[in-house]
Amino acid sequence: MSTTTTRILTVDDSPSMRALLNHALTTEGFDVSQAEDGIAALDWLALNEVDVVITDINMPRLDGFGLIERLREGSRHRDRPILVLTTESSDEKKARARAAGATGWIVKPFDPQKLVAAVRRVSH
Amino acid sequence: MLERRIYAADAAALQPQRITVMQGQALVSAEPQVEFTTVLGSCVALCLFDPDARVGGMNHFLLAEPPSGFAATAVDEHYGTYLMELLVNQMLGKGARKARLRAHLYGGANVNRNMMRIGTANAEFARGFLQREGIDLLRADLGGTNARRVDFRPASGQVRCKTVEDRLAPTPQPITRPAIATGDVELF
Repeated sequence: MSTTTTRILTVDDSPSMRALLNHALTTEGFDVSQAEDGIAALDWLALNEVDVVITDINMPRLDGFGLIERLREGSRHRDRPILVLTTESSDEKKARARAAGATGWIVKPFDPQKLVAAVRRVSH
Repeated sequence: MLERRIYAADAAALQPQRITVMQGQALVSAEPQVEFTTVLGSCVALCLFDPDARVGGMNHFLLAEPPSGFAATAVDEHYGTYLMELLVNQMLGKGARKARLRAHLYGGANVNRNMMRIGTANAEFARGFLQREGIDLLRADLGGTNARRVDFRPASGQVRCKTVEDRLAPTPQPITRPAIATGDVELF
């Protein structure tokens, strides 16, 4: 049985949301890193390895759609699980995320237990 | 005739279009004639304004204690953060920039002795949210024992806040998460 800690990058421009995510995930034993928008996430991912990306949609500089598209362009993150965590509830936005290559869609306000279950499911 | 019509249009523009912000709502507008109005007892209203985009928004909330099984924080921070993010996202959708947002906070009075703790906790939550988000708080009129009426012109950022008789404040209903707001997960 592997004891390797799952590494997660969360991408959200709201410090309040980042704090909630960090608390929910670190208390479950995940190794959490955080970025404030899509550009910061790409910079971080250029230098670091990660198992799962959790990203917001509405962010300055590069939004969640753009981040997913950029990650799927290259071979390194083509199969990386990417979960979208958003206040957006429209089917059109959900379809756009799916077309861009998202692995899953989670609606805020998130339930920590459901979020953790989703992370475990996509990372195994 | 044309001149008279222009005067009539100007007069109409000066007439405020009052829109009441009910508990649980978040409204945003860039229309000069729009005036958001609300009466607060224990509830808290956050007014946001972007002076460059000339757009503003107001919400009106009273958060419940978190659902059972959640961390024992004073209020439901997950749902509170979500409600604040909805207002901020609506502002951004109307052309505002987060770095330019200016905030006012009103309400959180201890009108009802039984609601004292939750009203104060809501005011503290709102202050903490603005601090974490780096949004400048220009004015706060929170706490005390009197109900307040707040009138906010979203396009100019002008705010009037005055105390009113407690009986005018609506009975606060602590917000419980609606059934759809359960953090549902869909894997593709």
